[in-house]
Order: sequence, then C-alpha cells, then structure tokens
Amino acid sequence: MISYRWRIRLWGMAFVAPTIAYFLVFKYGPMLWAMGLSFTSYDMMKPPRWVGLENYASIVRDPIFRAALLNTLVYIAGSTVFITLMALGLALAINTRGRGRRVCMSGMFLTNIMPILAVCLVWRFLFHPHGLVNQLLRPLGFGRIDWLTDSTLAMPAIILVTVWRFAPYFMVVFLAGLLAIPPEYYEAAEIDGADVLRRFRHLTLPLLMPVTFFVVVVAALLSARIFLMPYIITGGGPGNATRVLSMLIYETGFSYMKMGRAAAISVVLFAIVMVLTVVQMKLFTRGEEDYA
Amino acid sequence: MRRRAAVSAALAWTGLLPLAVLTFLFMLPIVWMTTTSFQAGEKMFQLTTEWIPSVWHPENYPNALSRSAFPRFFLNSAIVSASVMLGNLIFCTLAGYGLAKYRFRGDRLLLLVILSTLMLPLEVTLVPTFLVIHTLGWVDSYQGLAGPLLIDAFGVFLMRQFMLKIPSDYVEAARIDGAGELRILWSIIIPQCRAALAVLALFSFRDSWDQFLWPLVVVSRDEFRTYPLGLVRFGDDYGNPPTEQMAIAVLATIPIFLLFLLLQRALRKGFDLSALKG
Repeated sequence: MISYRWRIRLWGMAFVAPTIAYFLVFKYGPMLWAMGLSFTSYDMMKPPRWVGLENYASIVRDPIFRAALLNTLVYIAGSTVFITLMALGLALAINTRGRGRRVCMSGMFLTNIMPILAVCLVWRFLFHPHGLVNQLLRPLGFGRIDWLTDSTLAMPAIILVTVWRFAPYFMVVFLAGLLAIPPEYYEAAEIDGADVLRRFRHLTLPLLMPVTFFVVVVAALLSARIFLMPYIITGGGPGNATRVLSMLIYETGFSYMKMGRAAAISVVLFAIVMVLTVVQMKLFTRGEEDYA
Repeated sequence: MRRRAAVSAALAWTGLLPLAVLTFLFMLPIVWMTTTSFQAGEKMFQLTTEWIPSVWHPENYPNALSRSAFPRFFLNSAIVSASVMLGNLIFCTLAGYGLAKYRFRGDRLLLLVILSTLMLPLEVTLVPTFLVIHTLGWVDSYQGLAGPLLIDAFGVFLMRQFMLKIPSDYVEAARIDGAGELRILWSIIIPQCRAALAVLALFSFRDSWDQFLWPLVVVSRDEFRTYPLGLVRFGDDYGNPPTEQMAIAVLATIPIFLLFLLLQRALRKGFDLSALKG
C-alpha cells in the first residue's frame, strides 16, 4: 500500500512525465545524434562513415561557412540592439496618459500577427527599386537605392524588417515592466524636484533593467534562429552577404545531402544558442520565490 | 492646479502625434499588402503606389485560390496548427501543474531539463529531427508535420509561473474535501489560468501556422503541403501575378487575426506574463 503522500508525489511525476519523454525523443536524442553525425560522412544512402574531425576542419576552411557565421553574429547583434531601442522608445511613448494610445498599440501589434512569410513577401516588394521604401525616400532627396542587390545594404534591410516585425512585441513586454513601477516613486521624485530626464535616468532605467535584459536575450535568441527572412527576401545574397547558419544547415543537409557536414554546422549554431540560453536561464531563475 | 492639468492634457495630445505617425508607418506594409491584393497585376511596379485601386479586382482571391491547391494547403496548415495548439495546451498545462504544485525529488532538475530544450530549436536539430521522423515513418504525414512542435518549453514555463501564483491552500482544501488530483486541476487550477492559456493558444498556433523550414524538409507530396510552401512555389512559378500572391498572404493573416480578436481580453491580462513567450 502506497502512502498518501507518495500517491500525491506520483501524480506530480506523472503530470511531468509525458513532456520529459517527448523532449528526450524530439530534443535530446536528436542533439546527441547530431553530435555523433558531425564526426561522420552521411548521405542517407550508405551508412554513416566515421571521418573524425574532418567536417569541422573543412567548414572552418570554407569561406561560405565563415561568411555565414559572421553574418549570423552581425545579424544577432544588429537586430537585438535595434529591436531593444525601438521597443523601449515605443513603450515610453505609449506609457503616457492620453487618448488613442491603446489604438496605436493594437495597430503596431498587427506586425506580430501577420504570418512571417507574408511579412517576407511584402517587404521583398517594398524593397524593390521602384518599391514603396524608395517611393517614400524620394521626396527626401534620395535616388534609386538597390536595397536587396547591394551587398552593403542587404543585411541592414533584413535587420529593418526584423525590427519592424518584433519591436512592437517587445514594446508590450517593456510596457508590462513600466506598469509594474509604482507611481508613488514618480510622485516622490517629482516632489524632490527631479525633471523628466533625471526621472528617466535615475528611476525608470534602473527599474527597467531586468526587463531590458530579458528583451535583449530573447531577441538575440530569436535572431540566432533566423531562416525565413534571408531565405525569402534575398535568398542569402547578393553573393553570400545575407547567408546565415540556419540556411547553410538546410542547404548542406537537404540540397547537397551532406548530413554529417550539416550536423557539424548545427553544433556551431548550437554553441551560439547555448551561450545565449545560459544567460537567459540565469535571468529566469534569479530571485525566484517558491509559493508552493 | 487647473492650468497644470490643461498643460499636461495638451502635452498628452501633442505627444500622440509622433506616436500616430509611427503607428501609421508600422501599419503601412499591412495596408500595402491589403490594397495590392485588390490591384490589377500590371500596377505592381509603377513608380507611385496607388493606395486606392482605380479599379478593384476582388477576383484576385478566387483566381489565386483556384490556380493552385490552396484550399487543401490551408486545410493542412489548419489541421497541423490546431494539433500543435492542442498539444501545447494539454501537455504544458499538465507539466506546468506538476512542476508548480508538487514537490518530489528531482523536480528542480526536471524543470532544468525542460528549460534546457530552449537551446535546441528546430533550426539546430533540423537534420537529426528529420532522421527521427524518417525512422518513425512519418515523412509526408500530419504526425510528421506536427510532431516536433507539439510541446514547447516556453509554454511549460509560462504555465508553471502562472500556477505558482495560485495559492496552494486551494489545492490542499480540495484534497481534504476528497477531490482527486485531476479533478483539482480541471475545476480549480485551469479556470484561474485562462489568461495564460490564451497566450499559449495564440502563440503556439501562430508558431505552427508560420512554420516554413520544417514542412519544407518533411513534406514532398502535395497532399501534405502547408500554405507557406504552396505560396512560395506559387510565387516562383512564372506568370502568377504578385497581386494574387498578396491575396493569399491576406487570407493567411485572417485566422491569426481572428484568434487574436477572440482572445484579446484574456490576452491583455496575460501579457505581463507573455514576456515569457517568443
């Protein structure tokens, strides 16, 4: 006969068990498989052949891999910085009392509701030499700008689309953070004669630090996984200017059927994501109280 | 005091102007997509955008739908996304509850095991996940499409955090009254988690509805193609007007938009926690 307390404990374990089993099959198993595969040559026709570190040695020598690695890092840095700044700016602008703000918020949030593929297709047209972006810039004195075929502009263009897509979402996150600051703090600061700038610098900003940190890490994590935007908007071009690691994994594994080599690239992307995630988990579990 | 109120009211209104301009700019691509979907094909690459079509072409919609198997592609996407949403609602709730309201040896470790899967997004495990699905014989099937998306660690964490805020006394009291564990979950915990469930439903549906890379890898037969694959191929095929591509893009936006409207009230409450969901 199992005791009452044990019976309850077993229920708890039973609730978690399906999820754990699922992750073993669909996350941990595959990752171990990828690590093993990365030391082999495998095309799904013949059984995997052990090649040691050959895949790693050859990707490091490969200029396309190096370009993709650099592009991924540049993209992560660029989109994270601009998403965070834009989202914070929008949240501060919306967080003042007044009419019409909720409408603005819902309107902007629509960018997050549009299917990502629709976003990519629309922006590919908007960046066309005759497209809307150049039309809007023309009155400001700009001539024809070849956004997607100029290798210095293609990456900024994709970062712009990323900011457009994600900044309104993170704006909502920042807003939640702003609303959590007790209004008494501001009243006290006002009585002490602190002006708007000082209140922002010494009150809002420090109290918003945890949220900012969260936004930075999650945005970076999202950016590390980017695939569709360069795949659709530029096709990785011009040249390799916007080719990122996830695209390289797909092409290497499924266009060229070099599964071992693709697994090695996956391990590199994994290393990037791991660093970002470890930071995030530190944040998640910091100062957590137990209610149970 | 009254003058000060008037000044701050004026400030509130003038502050709205740049915000309204920004909102307008953010919404412009969406407006462009919608208006273009009603435009004549040859108007696409003119030097100025015709915001209100001189001649409306609503027939772009039926034309686009009939040119390719889009009704089927949309149906496939809907089946897969609904399954993914359901899977997340069920399993994230169960796991979140188990981790929030039960204490057992290793519960912290299990949370860590679950959260660590955030390091293993599908983009990273693409090749071996395909091999797993291949081994299971699920290539070209709904199971294959939905399988790798069925549970998301963010969802588990979201539910756990939300449930931690529910006082454990409720659970204890119900146990004393003789309620079973499942009964407690169903009639005490879940009704208090509506906001979190709304966030989870919207984002898990959208994530699956947006999936491109995974279907690209796991599907090769038309009957299991989802709408993003169909839409990209539709654009690649010579002679299909981009206006009709935009029509499909508008149609693809509608389900998520409706889901968003439907859940909006609950979402607003859940949004301080939505910070947890990408």
